[in-house]
Amino acid sequence: MIKIALPAGDLRPPVADVLISSGLHVEGYGEGSRAYRLSVRGRDDLGVRVFRERDIPIQIALGNYDLGVCSLSWVKEMQAFFPAQPIVPVCDLGAGAFGVYAASSIIVGGRLREIAALPSVRIASDYPNLAEAFAMAARLPRYRVQSVWGAAEAYPPEDADAVVIAGANEAAVRAHGLLPLHCLLQSSAWLIANAASLRRKELASVIGPLMSAAQPGGTPDVSLPAPVPSNGVRRDAAEERTAVRMAIPDGHQQRHVVDALVDAGLTFAGYDETACVRRPASGIDGLEVKVVRPHDMPQLVALGQFDIAITGRDCLLEHLHRFPSSPVQELVDLQRGQYNLSAVVTEDLPADTIEDALAHWRREGKASIRVASEFMGTADYYARSRHLWRYQVMPIAGASEGFVPEDAELLIEGTETGKTLRENRLKPIDLLYRSTTCVIGRKGATLDGQSKTVFDHVLGALRRAGEAAGSV
Amino acid sequence: MSDSMRPPGMRDWLPDDMARFRRIEQAFRDVCLGWGYEEVRTPTIEHLHLFTSAGTLSPQMLGRVYSFLDWDGWTGERVVLRPDSTIPVARLYAENEDPGAVKKLFYVQNVLRFAQGDESREDWQCGVELIGDMQPVGDIELVLIAAEVLQRLGLDARIKLSDPGILRAVLSRAGYSLPEQLALYDRVLDGELSVLDEVAGRISGTGAPVRSLLSMEGDGVAYLDNLLSALRAAVPEIERSVADLRVVSGILSEVGREHAIAPLLVRNFEYYTGPVFEFYVDGVRVGSGGRYDSLIGLVGRGDVPASGLALEMDVLASVIGDGARQGAAVVIRPEAAERAAMAAAFSLAGELRSAGRAFRIAGAGEPAGGCEIVASGEGFTLRLNGSAPRQIARAADVVSALSEAGL
Repeated sequence: MIKIALPAGDLRPPVADVLISSGLHVEGYGEGSRAYRLSVRGRDDLGVRVFRERDIPIQIALGNYDLGVCSLSWVKEMQAFFPAQPIVPVCDLGAGAFGVYAASSIIVGGRLREIAALPSVRIASDYPNLAEAFAMAARLPRYRVQSVWGAAEAYPPEDADAVVIAGANEAAVRAHGLLPLHCLLQSSAWLIANAASLRRKELASVIGPLMSAAQPGGTPDVSLPAPVPSNGVRRDAAEERTAVRMAIPDGHQQRHVVDALVDAGLTFAGYDETACVRRPASGIDGLEVKVVRPHDMPQLVALGQFDIAITGRDCLLEHLHRFPSSPVQELVDLQRGQYNLSAVVTEDLPADTIEDALAHWRREGKASIRVASEFMGTADYYARSRHLWRYQVMPIAGASEGFVPEDAELLIEGTETGKTLRENRLKPIDLLYRSTTCVIGRKGATLDGQSKTVFDHVLGALRRAGEAAGSV
Repeated sequence: MSDSMRPPGMRDWLPDDMARFRRIEQAFRDVCLGWGYEEVRTPTIEHLHLFTSAGTLSPQMLGRVYSFLDWDGWTGERVVLRPDSTIPVARLYAENEDPGAVKKLFYVQNVLRFAQGDESREDWQCGVELIGDMQPVGDIELVLIAAEVLQRLGLDARIKLSDPGILRAVLSRAGYSLPEQLALYDRVLDGELSVLDEVAGRISGTGAPVRSLLSMEGDGVAYLDNLLSALRAAVPEIERSVADLRVVSGILSEVGREHAIAPLLVRNFEYYTGPVFEFYVDGVRVGSGGRYDSLIGLVGRGDVPASGLALEMDVLASVIGDGARQGAAVVIRPEAAERAAMAAAFSLAGELRSAGRAFRIAGAGEPAGGCEIVASGEGFTLRLNGSAPRQIARAADVVSALSEAGL
């Protein structure tokens, strides 16, 4: 059986076209089937699994899949930190082309020399390894990379000095109000292979047809900037801000947060059940509001870039499991958006507790337990505290229900009703915690004057909303 | 996934290995203390940004550091497992000493860098850093210190001197940028000498064959003079590097230290600014060092000249002989696992330790050694190298008997 990993998301339609034109008709793939495991018409020797794109290089490197299709940028992102991973880019399928750019905010200026002159450089990116490689190659003396879950382009100028982002071209980067500094990579969808599979396994029946779609040229390398000499001139740090800054989430939490804000009597223009602008107007003097991904909020609050934020307890605890001394704390439980974060296994496993599951796996002689989760820090903490002994934490970006049992023994996963788990023949065997939407802030934050009045007003209103929701 | 519980590239130091390790360490410490150096140690974890400024760690080395976000790394600033000791010692100096003060420091510590497969990822080094205005005396002092350490270990070391400024001047004159220079330098050191012909082709008036002059190893001042006379007109920038090297080479010759001059020598040369030196035993490089006058400034303390040297302990441990293994020649064996015998055994152990003697208490089934003392409730039975057993009543008398026997 040849195991193939294909991407979900934006790359799915063009990749489906390439597959069909190469004579590989993956049933339901181009039609957007919600199933994770698909068959290939007339090819019993092929098995297809659909993943979030950035998970595919990890699965190929682990050897769980022989072949995969994903943007070259995710391969390079992984290889930037783990260059020895056994992944071979086979051919460029041409679909979904874009560039990965380093860009700076207009305030900093569009030259590397200006970035290097900052006292410290904040770089936001959902390509953190490429961002590290960029900063290191430029020899930026003091920088920090904020690994974000998306929308990095929204961070400058208040929350980052530079970004590493994907964009169709330089004009697309400029359209975000950013100045392109350097193009790190021209990326498109590539067929990639596990090196060991390529050496030993008969893959020609897949590679051969796909080569008909291959674009000419070699594998592009990541282009890194030349070192920027330190001229010893450092700009002054930015002026201290006076407004209270509040972060609110987009995505699935938005609905719960809008409800909580309404109950608290807070209305932000451009942020409701149907609208979500990046910088809603708060209508309160001295209060700035910005929409960011909930996963990124604890770090931003810890750094002092926001005074208050509304996120999920899952995101807060994930942050605290990775960085136990972080100064972020929960201020109010808004009592909404409740779900359980659980350890999940296949229904077929003859175990109802994690202890039984471990005993079973040990009897089976498993050398290592593979734990898949979107919450790496939490999964690692769980594996340590539950004495899994030898384990691998596998980061995943989504489509999580399809990992167990083939690609992982254990999944650390959020469940609301359990319906999705049952549909995928999974079951929870251990509850890590119950997550709800909550308000977070920074321990020891010192606000005074008007700032303190605004902060107390907003927090007080949210606290009353949380208490009211809890008493229902 | 490997079956071993030991990660790849990491080694266990077994008793014989540690005996060699300590021999090297002792020889090194004795020599350094003898030359007036003071011992320091830097932390295993440092900030990554200490190593990222241009002119500190080379790009090749930066690509091999173990960097990670610490448990309090929510700021996004990474830390590293110490990949190099010179830069941390430069930081130690910058943060603890008066600017410009001459400090002579040495250390024995490990550095950690990723390597492919089973190649070593943790290397122990005996390092010396001489910080302050001591040049060129300092360069010569470091070469002599290393030579003395190697001599004490019974090794006949070959010394090679160089100055990366020579090749840097040639590459710069040929119009290459710094990253290109680094890449070309590595290609040359990997044996691709034809690169030097390409370089020479970009410099007008080199006249003498650049490739043959730079790729050979010459003898002392005479060779340096030849090199200078051949290249000075086309690459006048080499003059300073050759002059510095000439001083060091001349004095080493006068004090009887034979050496060779090798213009192409040091990898990862980004931070070296003056003469560099390497030491070889049977063709294996066992140590290296050189001058790095810019480094203290890069870690924030003005321009202070400095030189350093590191001897590679893992390599040295593989080339020195076994030597006399330190260990206990005397074995105490309780006659039985009962209270009186064990009490007698530990009573004797106390006497021996008070007398500063080494011994080993035998485990179950351990074969008899050359000198065995069986302890029981009635006293001690001493067996010396197969001679007839001798009964001794008191522990103190056993110590005397061992002394009389020359043990």
